[in-house]
Amino acid sequence: MGPARRRVRRPESAISFCLLAVLLFIGLGVFIKQSDFEMARFGINVATAELPLGESEESKDDQTALNSLVPTGFETLSKTGVYNPENLYEKINGKAPLYTESGFEKLSTQRYVSTADESLWAELYVYDMGTVKNAFSVYSVQRRAEAEPFGPMRFAYRTANALYLVHGKYYVELVGSTESAELFRAMAEVTRKIRANLTIDPNAGIAELALFPEEDFVAGSVKLYLVNAFGSEGLTDTFTARYKLDDETVAAFLSRRSDPQDAQAVAKGYYEFLINNGATSKQTAKKILEGKVVDFYGTTEIVFDTGPFVAGIHEAENQQAAEKLAERLLNKLREVINSANNE
Amino acid sequence: MNEQIDKELDRREFLARAGKAGISIAAAGIASYLLYDSTGPAASIEAQDPVTLPDFSVPQIPAQTMSVVKGYDRAKTVDKAIELLGGIERFVKLGETVAIKPNVAFASPPMLGATTRPELVAEVVRLCYSRAGAKQVYVTDNPINDPASCFALSGIGKAAGQAGAKVILPKDNFFKYTTLTGGKLIRNWPIFYEPFTKIDKLIGIAPVKHHHRSGASMTMKNWYGLLGGRRNIFHQDINTIIAELAMMVKPTLVILDGTQVMMTNGPTGGSISDLRRVDTLIASCDMVAADSYGCGLLGLKVTDLPYLTKAHEAGAGTTDFQSLKPILATVS
Amino acid sequence: MRIVQTRRISQVFFFTLFVWFCIVSTIGDKLWQLRGWPVNWFLQLDPLVAIGTILTTHKLYWPLLWALVVICATIILGRFFCSWVCPFGSIHHFAGFLGNRKKKAAEKIQLNKYRKAQCVKYFVLIVFLFMAAFPSVGATLQAGLLDPIPLVTRSFNLVLLPIADSSVNVTSVAGRFYESAWLIFAIFLTAVLLNLVIPRFYCRFICPLGAFFGVIDRFALWRIGKSQNECVNCRLCEKSCEGGCQPAGNMRVSECVLCFNCLDDCKHELVSYQTRPSLAGEETDPDISRRGFVLSLASGILAVPAVRLGNKLGSNWYHRVIRPPGALGEEQFLQRCIKCGQCMRVCPTNVIQPGGIDGGLENLWTPVLNNRIGSSGCQLNCVACGQVCPTSALRPIKLSEKLGIGEFADRGPIKLGTAFLDRPRCLPWAMDKPCIVCEENCPVSPKAIYTQECFNTVRDGIFTVKKATNDTVETVEDNLPLDKFATGDYYCFIEEGDERTKIVGNTENSIEISPGRQFEKIPAAGSKIQIQVRLQRPHIDIEKCIGCGVCEHECPVSGRKAVRVSAEGETRSTDRTLLLKG
Repeated sequence: MGPARRRVRRPESAISFCLLAVLLFIGLGVFIKQSDFEMARFGINVATAELPLGESEESKDDQTALNSLVPTGFETLSKTGVYNPENLYEKINGKAPLYTESGFEKLSTQRYVSTADESLWAELYVYDMGTVKNAFSVYSVQRRAEAEPFGPMRFAYRTANALYLVHGKYYVELVGSTESAELFRAMAEVTRKIRANLTIDPNAGIAELALFPEEDFVAGSVKLYLVNAFGSEGLTDTFTARYKLDDETVAAFLSRRSDPQDAQAVAKGYYEFLINNGATSKQTAKKILEGKVVDFYGTTEIVFDTGPFVAGIHEAENQQAAEKLAERLLNKLREVINSANNE
Repeated sequence: MNEQIDKELDRREFLARAGKAGISIAAAGIASYLLYDSTGPAASIEAQDPVTLPDFSVPQIPAQTMSVVKGYDRAKTVDKAIELLGGIERFVKLGETVAIKPNVAFASPPMLGATTRPELVAEVVRLCYSRAGAKQVYVTDNPINDPASCFALSGIGKAAGQAGAKVILPKDNFFKYTTLTGGKLIRNWPIFYEPFTKIDKLIGIAPVKHHHRSGASMTMKNWYGLLGGRRNIFHQDINTIIAELAMMVKPTLVILDGTQVMMTNGPTGGSISDLRRVDTLIASCDMVAADSYGCGLLGLKVTDLPYLTKAHEAGAGTTDFQSLKPILATVS
Repeated sequence: MRIVQTRRISQVFFFTLFVWFCIVSTIGDKLWQLRGWPVNWFLQLDPLVAIGTILTTHKLYWPLLWALVVICATIILGRFFCSWVCPFGSIHHFAGFLGNRKKKAAEKIQLNKYRKAQCVKYFVLIVFLFMAAFPSVGATLQAGLLDPIPLVTRSFNLVLLPIADSSVNVTSVAGRFYESAWLIFAIFLTAVLLNLVIPRFYCRFICPLGAFFGVIDRFALWRIGKSQNECVNCRLCEKSCEGGCQPAGNMRVSECVLCFNCLDDCKHELVSYQTRPSLAGEETDPDISRRGFVLSLASGILAVPAVRLGNKLGSNWYHRVIRPPGALGEEQFLQRCIKCGQCMRVCPTNVIQPGGIDGGLENLWTPVLNNRIGSSGCQLNCVACGQVCPTSALRPIKLSEKLGIGEFADRGPIKLGTAFLDRPRCLPWAMDKPCIVCEENCPVSPKAIYTQECFNTVRDGIFTVKKATNDTVETVEDNLPLDKFATGDYYCFIEEGDERTKIVGNTENSIEISPGRQFEKIPAAGSKIQIQVRLQRPHIDIEKCIGCGVCEHECPVSGRKAVRVSAEGETRSTDRTLLLKG
């Protein structure tokens, strides 16, 4: 074509530019329109949806209790939800057995939303577990890998958008809608108010935690298995703790029994459980551990009893480290027994 | 010169075209304005223009609301029963159009008692024509089985035809949606409506029958035939639906035939042994009262049939038929 | 600037905008997600959607008022939509250009001549409009089958986008699936490939929207035409004519799509966009015969009752036609649904699928829930589908209406259907295998699926006691399957004591019960024990079930599910209810 093409007349250019202006105008209109929206109309944003909640006679009290926790700059978003062991699954579905098998009594939930920015909201879960031990158990076994310690409380940790803590017999979760400093400030405020407003038995504590030797202890690593520790039915109320010694991670466990006879029986039971499942007894250099060390498919298991305690090492990669820790643990327990006898 | 003419022609053509374009745009704009719907469709599929059955009842006359006649010959007992209430002239005026709704629910022979007796229908048709001077009498029902077979096998089609009545069989477009004010079940439900738009009076004629689901089927249950759609769903709450039918239909007169009562295996029966002679026929302006009397013929108490009390409480009639001072008589 | 360049810019602009709208139709507030993007805009601009729904419903649903802009502009300017806006038209334009660019000018002129068969599209239009127009015989809106905007929307949403996205996963986390999308693809591909035979084949011969524009542009104030009759008759103006409207000769105004190629191609500047009719003569009326008109009109009127002879709106309705929440009653629904696929595109779980013809011909490509596809039935807290429906065939309901709470509490939740258990396929019912997946996943509160506990003796599960302690039983038989009963679902039932205790382990000739518990009465040697399995058998509470299909989706019997939703009981119709409302 090239040279043979007709010339462009002026009106044609003028009209062309007008039409391009129209397109620009349409584009602009579309762009303005796209910023005008409210996601709630699609229903997906559950934060703004008024969902049916479990209710009971006590829910009024819970309502007042939870409403008193509202952080500044936030408001409650929905009625308080209260769930008992029968309808807990309605709220947390398949996770319910984890709680109901650990003495769960009641769950109260509440959502708080920022008055300034409705995308900032958090949901509070207060699980009444009956006892401190139960609360600690569900807290410890769920502890997230990416946990960072949180605040002045002993049993509390945070993740990017959530807070988890034990307050007396209560296990508390605060889950934020997003990762935000403002939201986290508000959630921290809720936890302060929980400590101030939710009364607990001040004497209730977990004595076993003081029984683990302090050297090389990995902070926050204690877990409590109320039943079925390591798959063995006899090991109930068993605490585990991780240690980092000689670049090896070793897990120690201990359980306080009602009396030395019971401790003996449980230790024997666990030892036999290991042997029955394919463990073989192992030589040891340490005299006090003789007959208590087994090889379990390449890992070292140690189990012993002393006084009312059953204790040992679980699935250690390195036998030396395991025996070193076992010895420390045994000595520590003996100290405790002796000091108790001397009193 | 030519060029100028051309230009003038072009100008005219353009103006005419522009005018038409303008009119087209205006028409499109006006149509859009008139049809504009700023809300979108509603949630429920409410029928457009729901219908309501007219009230066919006649003014009350104290102590002439219900009559009970003993006897075996239905033609005679029905004559007497209507006469005791003031005669057919009280109910049907000269030149009026009447519909008779017998129970033609099943394609079964008259002797089994599952349907209204043909001679009873024929006698009422005769009364309407010869005594009252009715212009036209229709006999109609919306049976469970195939309508044509039902009217043929029950004998009602033939008997009505011979007496001069016209049988109306249901067709799809005879059904219209209705909602009963204060009703729980009859809401936006299709009813057999068309035949009742062209009549002045409505007479229901039903036999007394045992009914497995509701206990007894009499004059109130007879209006079940007016329901269209998947009406068997109402069997889940049979007492309410019968009471609501009594609220929805306001007939001129009902006739309850207890000459031979189906005591068991209702509502279809199947054997003559299901029937028992009770030799009683009731005519009533109050169907709740008629059925309350009728349940006694089945050996039941009023409280055995909850729909009677429901209908009473809804104001469709009274279960205390004694208060109406029924007129008693016997014909041989 | 040349007008044809402007036209190309416009085509690219609108095509890009269209594709962008398809891409962003994902729930979310990111810039590339739904936000407030007017994703229905092309469908709203489409006059055939507006006219069709007006004919069936006698109302103009407010968002469709946009069509009036297009109609008015077409009355004044001609069929500008086809060559300047229509994304499907742009595809044909480009495909035709690609396919024929190497041909000689004379061949091109031959390709782009006017053909008598171009009248077919008017018959297509007449058939669709008359199918929609007569409520007495049943009005149905089928124009969406061939209406270019719903067609191209459907093709992009359900075929091209899922294919393109399958490797990058921008528009959805998992791959998207659409049943019988192959048919949509085949039609789209055929329409595009036909451009190799004749450019703009679809636009010239089939497109009912183009036909509609061809009818209303008869009074256009400006039109393409020759400014003088005499010319060298090179016919180069017909070389690239998109509409096949013979600008060199008797101009066919109703076929002209305003591509302006003739104007650009005429070296002598004799073709222009002018107020006067072409001096070489022009024809404003579509070239349709009276016979063709009457035949298509009659076909249109007869088509609806013919299609409905299957009684799919009556007692023979198809139970698997489960409509999304907010759908109108079936007849009203069919009067509005244009089969555009927007609801299927936006559905976050991919459960909304294009319908097949099992539910009747009218059901084709209308939204139907298939709980076997997608991530999880119909999500409880989602009402996205109704929000994007351009014609309100699915009403834009609020979440509170779907859940039946707040102002809608007295109506109760919207039921899509009812779940039915197929007990002969259900693991705990038919095979004595513990399973409560459907109950666990039921999102309704209180759950519509509940379980009842029962204990069944397993096959060959009666054993004779050889010796027993307070927590173990040795059996005379030594053929117990090793450790099979250690799952926690098996119990030891002692016949004489009527006692049942959980088993924690077994060997070939012994069973062990939980050490925490002990037999109340240790079974005597020689007595019988039974191994029983604890079953929680599901039941469905028909009054609570909302037909969301989560149970069907999750059911582990993965072939033909043991719990399936069917449309009985759906709120939108009165004649498919199962229960009386109390």
